[in-house]
Amino acid sequence: MSNIDRRTLVKGSLAAMMAGAAFSRAAFAQSSEPILLGVSGPLTGPNAQYGTQWKQGFDLALDEIQAAGGINGRKLAYSFEDSQSDPRQSVAIAQKFVSDPRIVMELGDFSSPASMAASPIYQRGGLVQFGFTNSHPDFTKGGDFMWSTSVSQADEQPLLAQYAVKRLGLKKLAVLHLNTDWGRTSRDYFVKAAKEYGAEVAVTEGYIAEERDFRSTLVRVRDANPDGLILISYYSDGALIARQARQVGLKQTICAASSVYSPKFLELGGEAVEDVHLGTRYFPEDPRPEVQKFIAGFKKKYNGQEPDAFNAYAYDAMNMAAAVVKIGGTDRRAIRDAFTKVRDVSSVIFGTATFDVETRRVKGAMNAELVVRKGQFALWDGKPT
Amino acid sequence: MSSWLDYTINGLIVGNVYALVAVGLALIFGVSRLINFAQGSIYLVGAYIGWVAVVQLHTPLPLTIIVVALAAALVGLIIERFGLRPLQNSARIAPLLATIGISFVLDQIVMLTFSPNPRALPSQLPDVRFQVGNGTIGPLDLLIAGVGLTSALLLFVFLRYSKLGWAVRATAQDRDAAMQMGVDVNRVNQAVFGIAAALGGVSGMLVGMYYNQIDTAMSLQATLKGVVAEVVGGAGNVPGAVVGSLLLGLVESYGVAVFGTSYRNLFAFLLLVLVLVLRPNGLFASARQAPPEPLTGTFIAPSRPVRIPRWALLIAVGGFAILPLFPVSFYVLQTLINAWLLGMLALSLTLVAGTIGQVSLGHAALLAIGAYTSALLSSSFSVPVGLAVIAGGLMSAALGTTLISPSFRLRGHYVSIATLAIGEIVSLVILNWESVTRGPIGISGIPPLSLFGYDLISASSVYWFSFAVMVVLALLQGRLLNSHLGRSFRAIRDDDIAARAYGLSLNRYKSLAFIFGGFAAGVSGAIAAHLYSYINHETFNTQQSILALTVVILGGLGNVVGAVVGSVALVGLPEVFRIAAEYRILIYGIVLLLLVRFRPQGLLGTI
Repeated sequence: MSNIDRRTLVKGSLAAMMAGAAFSRAAFAQSSEPILLGVSGPLTGPNAQYGTQWKQGFDLALDEIQAAGGINGRKLAYSFEDSQSDPRQSVAIAQKFVSDPRIVMELGDFSSPASMAASPIYQRGGLVQFGFTNSHPDFTKGGDFMWSTSVSQADEQPLLAQYAVKRLGLKKLAVLHLNTDWGRTSRDYFVKAAKEYGAEVAVTEGYIAEERDFRSTLVRVRDANPDGLILISYYSDGALIARQARQVGLKQTICAASSVYSPKFLELGGEAVEDVHLGTRYFPEDPRPEVQKFIAGFKKKYNGQEPDAFNAYAYDAMNMAAAVVKIGGTDRRAIRDAFTKVRDVSSVIFGTATFDVETRRVKGAMNAELVVRKGQFALWDGKPT
Repeated sequence: MSSWLDYTINGLIVGNVYALVAVGLALIFGVSRLINFAQGSIYLVGAYIGWVAVVQLHTPLPLTIIVVALAAALVGLIIERFGLRPLQNSARIAPLLATIGISFVLDQIVMLTFSPNPRALPSQLPDVRFQVGNGTIGPLDLLIAGVGLTSALLLFVFLRYSKLGWAVRATAQDRDAAMQMGVDVNRVNQAVFGIAAALGGVSGMLVGMYYNQIDTAMSLQATLKGVVAEVVGGAGNVPGAVVGSLLLGLVESYGVAVFGTSYRNLFAFLLLVLVLVLRPNGLFASARQAPPEPLTGTFIAPSRPVRIPRWALLIAVGGFAILPLFPVSFYVLQTLINAWLLGMLALSLTLVAGTIGQVSLGHAALLAIGAYTSALLSSSFSVPVGLAVIAGGLMSAALGTTLISPSFRLRGHYVSIATLAIGEIVSLVILNWESVTRGPIGISGIPPLSLFGYDLISASSVYWFSFAVMVVLALLQGRLLNSHLGRSFRAIRDDDIAARAYGLSLNRYKSLAFIFGGFAAGVSGAIAAHLYSYINHETFNTQQSILALTVVILGGLGNVVGAVVGSVALVGLPEVFRIAAEYRILIYGIVLLLLVRFRPQGLLGTI
């Protein structure tokens, strides 16, 4: 389904150019073909793992949407174009989607440079760019066609700070963060919140995404003499830091951002991630029906594999897209307007999601305080580690 | 004080890890004077074969090492036989490009077979830790150190005392003379590639176990660090590579100690530039050693350029100029805009690399300088965009030339390595100089292109603008190449000693080439910034530099029309292969290899 027939595409674009967009869209609305969403994301290149996780989440959501009768009887489908998270390719993909009358809205891209480089094209072309992992504070400022369900770090980081400072009682913190736009923004919100709760931030260290060796960084951390380590990391680098921290003899409590929530974190970290605390948006024993449905469905579809945070973002995004298309139909502008109307969409991350029309983001992510016990994520029982 | 002991130990531990890759690179460079960019990919392949052996087949460690070594050696032999041997009589730049193509293909095959998700590769050694300083080291640290040192020592003895070793060294010194003395040069190359690949594969597996993590992105990083370590130790010098690696590890560790984690790679690359400038043959080169890049004019082979009649060029330019008047999709226009922007970069690089022979691997830095200058001027100081773009070009010309000038005394591969390092340094400065560049947050809300108060927003107007700029730059460069300047540039490329004897000031001409080239690249970056509206330190990355070099070699070094044709081809091909989804980069790599194999002088030939 990710392959667009090139001839149809060229014909479609020609038709759109010559006959006018409105006409071709009207003709399209009566067809029995699936309603098509465009996805721009990495399938190759250094971020390829996240693109494959998106696909898993999308496909599960689509199975459920189709089983429930689709969108007013029509199927929903997506066309995934590989951008390698490269702005040069994401802008070309943006033009491709904008000039393809079958595409009713777009999802992605993954990284901020790739997503925000494409925003002007989507904005001018009048096609919604629904960036569900775009936490960059300026993403939705690109225009009224940019919408995001990415959890705002202004929301998430105070929750993590509360967990670390109020609940775990940590007073002097060392913060290690990915030195990307996400990691930097998160760090700033975290530090601000932690100080408000009365903790001291002894040292902050930013590292680049390709880094594998953290031993020297951890000596700096040790010399700052903190009583807790905060990891604003993804699961692979988070696992590396935890392992090396234990290897160099740091025994402090580790508390991590929700992006490490993945079975891979446990696999890669092994014994070293035992007793690591993390805030998450959902967890396996979460009694909420939408979470149970998501986890059970995911395990069934992917041979018992546990879903992770990125799977959940993609799953939620596809469900949100379906809800929006149900209201807005297949007209691109009506879809943009539907984002302002859609209410209380069932969501793994938010419980129910409703957009704030001003910021074009969703507030109020769910929060659960987990800890790794015996190699599994478990709800924290309040006992110190 | 005790912390310094810990930093030292940590530096040595990670240096140890770099040494495994650097030794393999040094061995291959020693024999074939080739920086093997596929070494990191063999390392990747080794790690995944190790994963299959450990996790699926449950082999014990000694058997795992043997399996990985044999399998990786086989990959090395295949690369040598089918990827590099057919190119041995073409310009030395061709095998360099071939190794880049091979690394694309290998990385993609691994990614498609094993999925890009990282995997755990459990260590098979007992988990005991020894207290050293305030930290601990484990048995794997010792094993890695053992493998690194033993292999360096064995190789040293092999090269010095065995008959095949003599043959290897004879081939390294003078391939033709060795052949005349009856050395089977191909067998030597095979032996070297086999050994280097076995070592590369085992090191990938050990490092994977060390971090309990393997993923498909580890290949490029391994190559980068290995190359730095190898050059610091003296390219082609096997024991030097080990010492270079340890030194690199120490410098990084002390850099973290003094300035913080975010500055780590900055120190690695500064060390490299410093060593290259002060001791271009590496820290451990002896005075008697023959210069590593002795033969001028052999790096880039002359060839007969394809002559394109003027009327054909005029028709092509005219055709592309009126293209937006026809009902073509915006997607096609956008793809061509990307091609024109890459074309400007390629014009710059073809002048610097092709015409004057300074093969740059850090050209994306010029894009970044131009882009940041123009973006900051227009958004913070409300400079009109048209002027800001020109200022971006000028800044890139000035700053780029200044940064690159210490490497003017280098030749051949060393220029490539120095420019690679300078490119990384620029990107790391952008990341860390937050008061100006806003660090990782980047610059958003960059105004769109505009000219005399009119915004250029529609795809066709951006198309026309970038096409016109590129054509003007191409015409200027064509004019330059036909003037006495162009002849002087080529004289320096073909024989710098003769050129100097004739009274040409090398530094002045190299500066002129970089000023002109820097301007073109800076303008390209600036236009891109206004087109994207958002840039950060990742927008212009090493992959861009490698892509630009590929374009230039593909089009024919120094060839202006070739640079443009190459850009259209290399932007267009991955788009055409979109139909193949995940397989498209694999197909692209194979096409690239075939092109190098059958047109090593480039599509339109070297001018």
